Amino acid sequence: MRLYFISEKNFVYLLKTLKKDYEVISPNRKSEYFWKVFDEEFVFNEYRAVNSIRQFFFPAKKTVGQYFNQLQKEKKPYCIVGAKACDLFSLNIQDYVFLSQPQDLDYRLNRENNLIISGDCIDFKEVCFCVLLDILPYPVKFFDLNISPIDNGYIVEVGSEKGDKIIVENEPLFKEAKENHILEINDRRKKMIERLFSHLKAQNLPKKDSLYSLIKNNYQANVWQKEALKCVECGACIMNCPTCHCFLLFDSKLEKDYLRAISWDGCQYKNFTKVAGGANPLKFRSYRLRNRYIKKFEFFYEKLNLYACTGCGRCIDSCIAKIDLREIFKELSYSEVNLK
Amino acid sequence: MSIYIPQETELIKIITETQNIKTFVFKPKNGFSFKTGQFVELTYPGFGEAPFTPSSNPFNTKEFDITIMNVGRVTGLLHKAKEGIVLGLRGPFGNGYPLNEFLKKDILIVGGGVGLAPLRSLLLSLFTEIDKYNKIVLRYGARSPKDIVYKEQLKEWSKIKKVDVVVTVDVGDETWTGNVGLVTSILKDLPLDINNAVSVVCGPPIMMKFVTFKLLDLGFKPKDIYLSLEKNMSCGLGKCGHCRLGKYYICKDGPVFRFSDIKDIWDIWD
Repeated sequence: MRLYFISEKNFVYLLKTLKKDYEVISPNRKSEYFWKVFDEEFVFNEYRAVNSIRQFFFPAKKTVGQYFNQLQKEKKPYCIVGAKACDLFSLNIQDYVFLSQPQDLDYRLNRENNLIISGDCIDFKEVCFCVLLDILPYPVKFFDLNISPIDNGYIVEVGSEKGDKIIVENEPLFKEAKENHILEINDRRKKMIERLFSHLKAQNLPKKDSLYSLIKNNYQANVWQKEALKCVECGACIMNCPTCHCFLLFDSKLEKDYLRAISWDGCQYKNFTKVAGGANPLKFRSYRLRNRYIKKFEFFYEKLNLYACTGCGRCIDSCIAKIDLREIFKELSYSEVNLK
Repeated sequence: MSIYIPQETELIKIITETQNIKTFVFKPKNGFSFKTGQFVELTYPGFGEAPFTPSSNPFNTKEFDITIMNVGRVTGLLHKAKEGIVLGLRGPFGNGYPLNEFLKKDILIVGGGVGLAPLRSLLLSLFTEIDKYNKIVLRYGARSPKDIVYKEQLKEWSKIKKVDVVVTVDVGDETWTGNVGLVTSILKDLPLDINNAVSVVCGPPIMMKFVTFKLLDLGFKPKDIYLSLEKNMSCGLGKCGHCRLGKYYICKDGPVFRFSDIKDIWDIWD
């Protein structure tokens, strides 16, 4: 592992330099962290931002073509600063969907060209439960550079050739990392994991390995209807989820021509599975809520041996009806126990 | 080229089949071929796409037919369309009928309503190489005599050697002298050897459900029953998420499935 030190001032200088080749996106602190285009100031986010990084690889709405031609876009790739381990884990799912043959070329280009400067989590939100899913609070994969704050600067870890190139091209900004800094960061990472586990323990959630069977064996559980009755179908859980990938292909009219466009879609909307003849397999909110869990904890588990959940808690945070994934799993585990 | 952009296809002919079903003949600009049972996404530019399974013989690679019932927004527009307009085409998508599995077998084909459209494509491909198959038994049910599609062709097909055709309607009228009853009622005394037969079913979900149960009762093995499933297929590529059924995407893993592969999916008939 190759580690460097960069001062806060030099890091801001680096981001300004990267603006030549990238649209640099960094967190903006308001009541929470939101993504914004980087200008002068950089704020290190202690935990994940409100929105996932999905939008930088597969935008929420995009025009793919004008009949019958593809639109040629000249756009700088993104440099995403402050992505967290949970964000990066979601790329396992998005890659599976969009890089399976035939590939979505836009997505592939974004994956190849975007630069990811991720960061350690040095704090967490009440809704965070990443460690339940064996996701650590610091990135281990899918980053080009990772930063971890220390002593008015950051320890920088190189995660890819692209990241290495950034270091080489901007060499004067970096120093070798000091041994005591590395020890301090490793210690903080360890403590962060301990803190997350003790937070998790207090929540008394079922174990990771049981989540698959808790869903598969409980299609008829009462919890689906009970929780779905609260759902107002706003779709916030879908739009904020880093692993949701469903989308709608649609046409829109220009003055003389037509555009083919894509927007995010999701299974919590009532017409998601409706066909022209009128049939709608997911006609009830309870079916749709259950479908979301089947997709994330059964479908992807069978396909990839991974849950399509990063433990980021965004679905919990964003739900105005206070539907809580953790509570659903707890209730399913109680009903399992009761059945036995 | 983006996988979401269609190619141009000209609508060259429209044939009225029934009051609300028409067959549209298309000529794609850049050439197109499909395997029987695969489906396409047809676009009405500016209004959107809908999935359809071609109803013509796949051996004809210059043009292809789609037989469409007027049920929704895109199909409504298509029914008002005039010959000569240019539409969009993506595909073909998914897996078609595994004709290799049908060699030297008796083939029972059961259709309901406009579900005969994809089956016509299958029938025409089987007829093209009829020596390769033992026998073809078609059982078709429509709501009423007015709703029968391919009326003249059904008569022609019944004259082909090794082909046995029986049609029924749910409700008859003064012109109808044939069978009356659901399609399951004409699935008895079938002139075939069930131990050396496969069956192919296409129609509305409720019809497919009861036909499948009937075929199982008759002794067909789940692996020898092929169903053409339909959901809200949209991207056709297993990416947009609309047509998931159990561990499958209908668009990518289907739309043709062996019943043995899907029988344990709990919401298969929804």
